Amino acid sequence: MTDIKKIAEMLQDNEIVVLKSFKKKSADRIREIKSLKPIEFLRAGMWLENKGLIKTTKIKKKFATLDILGKRYVKASLPEIKLIALLKKGPKTLEQLRRFLSADELRFALGYLKKRSAININKGVLSITSYGRSTKITLEGKFLLILAQKGELALDNIEPQDLHAYLELKKRKQLVKEVEKQEISFKITELGKQVAENVPSGRRIGLITPAIIRSGDWKKQPFRRYDVEAGVPAIYPGKKQPYLAFLDDARAKLVELGFKEMNGPLIETEFWHFDALFQPQNHPAREWTDTYTLKYPKQGDLPKNKKQLAAVKKSHEGSWLYSWNPEKARQLTPRAHGTALSARWLGQGCQDGKYFAIARCYRPDVIDATHAIEFNQVEGIVVGDGLTFRNLLGTLKQFAIEFAGADKVRFLPDYYPFTEPSVQLDAHHPEMGWIELGGAGIFRPELTNPLGCKKPVIAWGLGIDRLAMFKLGIKDIRYLFSTNIDWLRKEKVV
Amino acid sequence: MPTIEISKKDLEKLAGRKLKNLADELENAKAELENQDGDVLKLDIKDTNRPDLWSVEGIARQLSKDKGCPNYKVKKSKYVLDVSKKVNRVRPRIAAAIVKGIKVTDDLIRELIQLQEKVALTFGRKRKEAAIGVYDFDKITWPVLYTTVSPHGIRFVALDMTAAMTPLQIMAKHPKGREFAYLVEGYEEFPLIIDRAEQVLSMPPIINSNHTGKVTEKTKNLMVEVTGYDDKFVQASLNVMAAALADRGGKLEEVTINYDNKEIIETPNLAPKKAKVKIETIQKLAGEDLKPKEIISLLRKARYNAKQVGKLIEVEYPAYRQDILHEVDIVEDVLIAYGYNNFEPEVPKLAVHGEETELEKFSRKVREIMVGFGAQEVATFTLTNKDNLFKKMNITEREFERAVEIENPVSSNWSCLRNWLLPSLMDFLSKNTTKEFPQRIFEVGEIVKINPKAETKTDTLKRLAFAFSNLRVTFTNAKQTLEALGICLGIKFTVKESEHSSFIAGRVGEIRAKGEIVGVIGELHPRVLEGFGLSVPVVGFELELNKIL
Repeated sequence: MTDIKKIAEMLQDNEIVVLKSFKKKSADRIREIKSLKPIEFLRAGMWLENKGLIKTTKIKKKFATLDILGKRYVKASLPEIKLIALLKKGPKTLEQLRRFLSADELRFALGYLKKRSAININKGVLSITSYGRSTKITLEGKFLLILAQKGELALDNIEPQDLHAYLELKKRKQLVKEVEKQEISFKITELGKQVAENVPSGRRIGLITPAIIRSGDWKKQPFRRYDVEAGVPAIYPGKKQPYLAFLDDARAKLVELGFKEMNGPLIETEFWHFDALFQPQNHPAREWTDTYTLKYPKQGDLPKNKKQLAAVKKSHEGSWLYSWNPEKARQLTPRAHGTALSARWLGQGCQDGKYFAIARCYRPDVIDATHAIEFNQVEGIVVGDGLTFRNLLGTLKQFAIEFAGADKVRFLPDYYPFTEPSVQLDAHHPEMGWIELGGAGIFRPELTNPLGCKKPVIAWGLGIDRLAMFKLGIKDIRYLFSTNIDWLRKEKVV
Repeated sequence: MPTIEISKKDLEKLAGRKLKNLADELENAKAELENQDGDVLKLDIKDTNRPDLWSVEGIARQLSKDKGCPNYKVKKSKYVLDVSKKVNRVRPRIAAAIVKGIKVTDDLIRELIQLQEKVALTFGRKRKEAAIGVYDFDKITWPVLYTTVSPHGIRFVALDMTAAMTPLQIMAKHPKGREFAYLVEGYEEFPLIIDRAEQVLSMPPIINSNHTGKVTEKTKNLMVEVTGYDDKFVQASLNVMAAALADRGGKLEEVTINYDNKEIIETPNLAPKKAKVKIETIQKLAGEDLKPKEIISLLRKARYNAKQVGKLIEVEYPAYRQDILHEVDIVEDVLIAYGYNNFEPEVPKLAVHGEETELEKFSRKVREIMVGFGAQEVATFTLTNKDNLFKKMNITEREFERAVEIENPVSSNWSCLRNWLLPSLMDFLSKNTTKEFPQRIFEVGEIVKINPKAETKTDTLKRLAFAFSNLRVTFTNAKQTLEALGICLGIKFTVKESEHSSFIAGRVGEIRAKGEIVGVIGELHPRVLEGFGLSVPVVGFELELNKIL
């Protein structure tokens, strides 16, 4: 089957009407088709143009159309014509005429008719001249009627005699106005002409309806061919948020590796946030991370476990040589690090095991492409008798392989106020190169002992947001929480 | 994290050896090479609790060809610094050292200022706990007095100024005065260091005088002084400064600090400190059978003196190390000296099984069902503001419930934690008014509610919010989704008409399940739409997942 024929068979009914009308009208350009509504006409034209069968030209054109007063005078006739009609019945005084015409109308009509010697004014009495008597309608009046009939007239299409009337009317207020409109016209292409010759005759099935199926019409009539290669409007399925989907994967991986999830409150007391983590109340270590303070509510409660509380106080006072203030420990703060959650968890028991949390955290940082107002920390602890530094490295190496697909890992000395020793984990990502993936260490005994835990506790944290950004192909961390629905709709599922 | 700039040539000279794998070697001093520009190395020092590492001298010491604890000699001297009891009310502690015979160059001055600033800023908490002054020793007439002075009580020329001013004028006019004035706020008198000849040395913790407090290339001998509240910070800071200057060839001499004849101490005290660590502790923590001899050699590399005494290792370490509180601090130095990357990583062998929380499992189930309904999941911030939570939602905080409020927000846009979730979705829709409709979105997210009975006075709860915006949406659309969700979860939701001014009256209800109110559903009020700049109608609901778990 030739392409021409194929195209012809794909045409919809309205397209066929448009295409055929070129031949029927033997016109070069068409601007409308009576049997089609303007919207149908335009849409069919658009489809035809997409197929290369016609060419659309859009021209901005000026049209004359009736204005408010103009519309009224079409019904009630122009004031000058009204005046003539009145005077034809006999001379009248101005007083008398005022009953029929407004002051403005009268003033204009007098001027207009006097200029044309259609009336005489003598001592306040108006009478008609013979020229006036022969006048039935003016050029302006005629033009108004034409305009009323056609609705609008392209300015470049107005007859010369009408043009004068139009210009006169335009000088008067609110009789006619000029509007600019786009005029669309179609011109058939060479391909269009060939296709027009091949348009199939007879009915074809477009939309299949239950009636067509039941009636068996489909056995008799051909189906209209569709352009299956054409573009279609987009639809958007329900989808997970890409970053949350990424975190789901991370969570699944951690569960797979034997980690149990911990949870805790977004608003934390400084006790669990700092004191339980052996951060002295007045030491630079406590400023290792800037934190928010609350205006409301300000203070929480200290833990009910008095033994723990006394032990934390003793640990601080013994090591840091200051007087520990329980009031300070009651201050509330939005969680700034997930380690607060690990401390709370450890305070509830010291069960052997591997634990993790994906914790929303807050820091009063500058906000830019690398700092969001809030972020998620993936972190946790490993508790067990006899855990060693090598176990710490083993845990980290496993993360590097599982999360970053690392082919190499590197461990660097690091510093965290609550771990000793402390390690930085660098992973060599096959595509990103060396990245700092996490920080970890073994909790200080001054931290674990007061909480009633005599075992070594490995504490770890992973910075996986950079991996998420890499996977999602974004450069700005704020996009992890994108408010652009189009991006969410169009981002691939990872 | 302190960042310092040092000269590589200088570093190698001080260390007494060439550093081949510079970046790797630097890790032993917890320093990360940020960049190298010719001879200039820019380093990030990761340990915020080791000010002794924040200088080229400190890094060099750690990487030195020398082993064992560095030995600093401090000569006895006759120089006395008297401390008036008046300072007890303002800034009670001071320590000082004299450094003689040092060759002062531009480079040294720059180094000195860098170290002084880093120590005072990070370790000294912006000069609060430790403010450091360096002086031209030869311009001082001894003894020196540390006392206080009234805000108008004296006039002197502050560093880099020409005119004499009173302390109060300096606070108002000198850049450093303005920067640090808050440190002496509320003091009736200001701290002052002055010599026998009535020459002002400085007004700690604010500014030195231009006379004695200015160090130039002509300076031959120095006096260093640190003031603060606690000898732990004051003496540690002085020791860091003194050790660095001694490494440069300076000869240290003592200053006798006389606290009103009640307490007399000599500073700096650079005698090594002593500690003990069990060999077993090191071996157990390392997970490596390190022999005592090897441990001793590693400790010497880390600049300790060490010897075995039975099952213990006895160590001596330099006085500038104030960070060693526990055996584990010494163990870390052994591990670093051994080389972290020389250990064989080993995954812990624990009989455990992984598990999510029940709430998390349930949340995921809900999210997957919502996705099945064709809704787009969104993730928004839990931080928001009262405008979004209340005003735009056409409710008042008083009639609704109070939100957690931040005292020091970075921006007023993020000054509250949300106490319900729908406003986040409305805010999201307001950012997408020009995008294609229908917009069907949901979020499962955390909110924070006040609870006076809770330990943290708040409850962190998980909620589901759903919003559907389209040219033709009605209450029915929201209720259909809710009921379908109920069927999927096996929960019977009922809707009882209620009042809520975020929604149109007569088109809002509370959602009930398991005998309690678990949420709200309705058509959002046009005033709410107007508030968020929306012109397409929205219906939605919010459900508390903790309650239907």
